[in-house]
Amino acid sequence: MRLSDEELVEAFQQGDSSAFDQLVSRWDRKIQGAIYRMVGSGEEARDLCQEAFLKAYRGLSGFKKEARFSSWLYQIAVNVCRDRMRRQRGKTVVSLDELTNAGELPFKGTAPSALELMEAGDLSRTVAAAVASLPDEQREVIVLKEYQDLTFLEIAEALDVPVSTVKTRLYRGLTQLRQRLTRQGIRSATPIPAPTH
Amino acid sequence: MECDAFREDLLDVLYGEADPATAHRFNEHQAECAACREEIASFRRLRHDLDGWAVAPKRRLAFPARLRPARWLAAAAGLVAAIGGATVLAKGEIRYPSGQVLLRLAAPAEDAAELRRLLAEQQARHEQAIADLKATAVRPAAAQASLDQEALLAEVRRLLKESETRQAAAFAAGLSGLEERSQAQRRVDMAQMSAGLSYLEGKTGLQTARTTELMGKVLLASQGGR
Repeated sequence: MRLSDEELVEAFQQGDSSAFDQLVSRWDRKIQGAIYRMVGSGEEARDLCQEAFLKAYRGLSGFKKEARFSSWLYQIAVNVCRDRMRRQRGKTVVSLDELTNAGELPFKGTAPSALELMEAGDLSRTVAAAVASLPDEQREVIVLKEYQDLTFLEIAEALDVPVSTVKTRLYRGLTQLRQRLTRQGIRSATPIPAPTH
Repeated sequence: MECDAFREDLLDVLYGEADPATAHRFNEHQAECAACREEIASFRRLRHDLDGWAVAPKRRLAFPARLRPARWLAAAAGLVAAIGGATVLAKGEIRYPSGQVLLRLAAPAEDAAELRRLLAEQQARHEQAIADLKATAVRPAAAQASLDQEALLAEVRRLLKESETRQAAAFAAGLSGLEERSQAQRRVDMAQMSAGLSYLEGKTGLQTARTTELMGKVLLASQGGR
């Protein structure tokens, strides 16, 4: 029978250290993926992911059952990324070589479709650069929602903010991404005029 | 603005988290609002584009051995399985009267004695292996943390007690020293006051003599002047 995360946490707190291994094997790929999309470097994501799980290991004895384990774990991962951002502030976060001085990707003079970009292997880099150029708060929400598929409530728990704040950040992030990708000429993200009611 | 009021509803619908009432409310609104229809359609296209961000396959994390299950547990499980398997093959049974494990084998008498001896030897080897592994195994995290906390608390109590003792001794010594210093200062003050009075007395006497002398000279001058 597959134990829930919370049951494994309880087993760990009662002295079964192998329960933590199960939690790691259950969550390490997802957490590593989230960290990668937040910091942009594969090797660094792996180190930060390990750091996040070590922090989880040290803190698990005091984990309160009011929160979901997954939200708690994502909170640790986000904090590890934020610490790293603070340390690296001003340095390149992701491969942003293509960005202009204004922080935008240079316009290439053509308007390729998303399919054409993907076939050329450019879409992935274009999207990565656009997400990396978002403010930290918006990038966190975009990553947790778009790529981790968390609910609004889970994101709110992980970031320790109200759900309404999560939605505000998400809306602004989506709007900015749409603008940035449109400047890259990705036609499927063509913007529409803002509502004028 | 009216559309701003539907922004949260739009996101709920976009990500499939809208309850029926919210979905109904937003659908009624977008049926009459071309801008919101285009907005949600545009966001859907954007989400499709965002899916284009591929991520390379990730490697599994490697953790220190102390985070892995203790190896002696696996060895113990192996021993139990081995004994159980051998017992079943020998058509025997295992019982636990008064906390001790007893094997009863149903094989022919001559074979049973040999099998019992082999099993006893094997069990002794496994027990020795488990004892060796236990000696080197790390305690479970919670138990270790509990021991660490108790040791830490004991150390804190000892340090507090030592600190209180030192403070009490220092306070007593301070009181004693203060009294001695007060007495000495008092003696110094009295001596200074005495010296000051003597000086004043001397100075007053000198000034009186000089005044008398001056008065005498003034008197002589006044008499001569007449």
